[in-house]
Amino acid sequence: MSLWFELAASGLITGGIYAVVAIGLNLQYGLMRILNISHGEFLMLGAYLTWLGYTVLQVNPLVFLPVVALVMFVLGVAVYRLCFYRIVSTAPAVEVIEARSLLVGFGLLYLVQNLAYLTWGADLRGYSFLAEPLEIAGSRFSLNRVVVFGFAVGASLLLLAVLRFTLIGKAVRAMMQSPTGAQLVGIDTKVLHPVVFGAGLALAGVAGALLSMIYEISPAMGEPYTVTALIVIVLGGLGSALGSLLGGFLLGVVETFGMHFTSPSLKMVLSYGVLIAVLLARPKGLFAR
Amino acid sequence: MTLRNAFGVLVAGSLALAALPWLLSDFLLALALSCIMYAGLAVSWSMFCGATNYLSLATAAFFGLGAYVTAWGAGALPYGVSVLAGGLAAAAFAALVGAAVLHLRGAYFAVITFGLGELVRHSITYYEKAYEGTVGRIIAEAPESTTVYWTVLIVAAAAVATALVVRESRLGLALRGIGSDEERAQTLGVNARRSKILAFALSAFFAGALGAAMAVRWTYIDPPTVFNPFIGFQTVLIAMVGGAQTLLGPIVSAVAFSLLTEFLRLQFPYLFLIILGLLLILLVLYLPGGIASLFVRERWRRGNA
Repeated sequence: MSLWFELAASGLITGGIYAVVAIGLNLQYGLMRILNISHGEFLMLGAYLTWLGYTVLQVNPLVFLPVVALVMFVLGVAVYRLCFYRIVSTAPAVEVIEARSLLVGFGLLYLVQNLAYLTWGADLRGYSFLAEPLEIAGSRFSLNRVVVFGFAVGASLLLLAVLRFTLIGKAVRAMMQSPTGAQLVGIDTKVLHPVVFGAGLALAGVAGALLSMIYEISPAMGEPYTVTALIVIVLGGLGSALGSLLGGFLLGVVETFGMHFTSPSLKMVLSYGVLIAVLLARPKGLFAR
Repeated sequence: MTLRNAFGVLVAGSLALAALPWLLSDFLLALALSCIMYAGLAVSWSMFCGATNYLSLATAAFFGLGAYVTAWGAGALPYGVSVLAGGLAAAAFAALVGAAVLHLRGAYFAVITFGLGELVRHSITYYEKAYEGTVGRIIAEAPESTTVYWTVLIVAAAAVATALVVRESRLGLALRGIGSDEERAQTLGVNARRSKILAFALSAFFAGALGAAMAVRWTYIDPPTVFNPFIGFQTVLIAMVGGAQTLLGPIVSAVAFSLLTEFLRLQFPYLFLIILGLLLILLVLYLPGGIASLFVRERWRRGNA
């Protein structure tokens, strides 16, 4: 019993992080058709910011979280303005936006990752934060994992609430349903696109900051998360934030159980297996209506 | 340029390139080999993806599959046969996969082709570890480096020749029709499904054959080397930067990319990739049709069908 509980809990913790990474990416895709393959590199930047904050300025990583989010948001608006604005406004068709933004994403991936290599080197960095154990229902977890899980779920739910209950959230949802219709009723793309892109990067930064509390960080840490986020998005349905949250949990749990009962080296086979099975059976995502 | 003239240029060019082993040092020959390999990969990629506007990220999977056919057959199969078998294995895999996923478009197709490549890579890793008890394989008897060079040259030239024929054929017209508007093409009587699977398998054949031919260059191969996603990304970048709708564009940009990579990567590994990233962003933003769009007249671009 306690084994099952432990596996499920650790799957949900991993899944919570997956969800935060995926939701940001999914919003960008759903709204602007930008499939930002360099999403994980911004996660890595968030992790390095937090690490710098902790080791240089001695700031508590949790206190530093809003700073990271804000910095990444501003960076996101700048990246959007410099790189993606031109693509979205000049491309003749949606497929062209997808293809070109994918290429620009690769460019950003090379750029950001290697800037990080130049600045911080290839060494693994890390710090110890809230590493003491905590007992829940007879199972032991380190405190930082529980905190990370709480913040990941909190951030995801906050975003879902913003999307559901605020005017700007309504505008985002309207724009996903029908870009032309949304513009007709006076929703301004010029404001909404940079804001949502920035919010996506802010989420990536938060995910990176949370990860840096548990794992060691390196300039290459982002890439696997981009791949996982793509899987989660397809699982949950392109453009659906709630789908990404559930898809993230699902993938985290499937991976954890699968790895326990088969072999850790099968982790990626499992995730891709799930992805391909879902795509073949339900190409619009698991939760599509 | 008519088909006959184009073939003349191709044959003349290949013959000239075939003479390089007598003219160049080993280092320069290795450089030429990498140019030719990427030219072959980029041409075979744009054969399907350039015309149809489907974004496939499966090149690394085909390449790696071909390489593993050579590795598994090492000692048992002669080099030429394993190159052919590598191509056929990749083509069969592509046809199978294509039948299952070619109804997906856009980002879904890109993600699933990438996912399939990774799935094959991780499955092979697992299989080798669990049942063969090895991580990688050593290819003990490698052919002469000039033999490898000529083989890669033949495969790449065959890819270009096939691309030329396909462009002029009914299949090429059908593919371009699918690229402009798939539903309209179907309405006009194009069997979209069959055309896509055929072209996808054809383009995979050359990627697989190139993988099989190149495998012997490494002497030790393991899944991370031959299924390196970088090979797939590089191919896509080269083709799109050169202009995936043209034939010459990918070839020119393959040479440029390989030279840049070879000369800059060793000296300034990080700076090189930073510059590559910047270049890529600027190219996409300000020259979205690829380098070829600078030279090619409007009617040769997409939609001349």
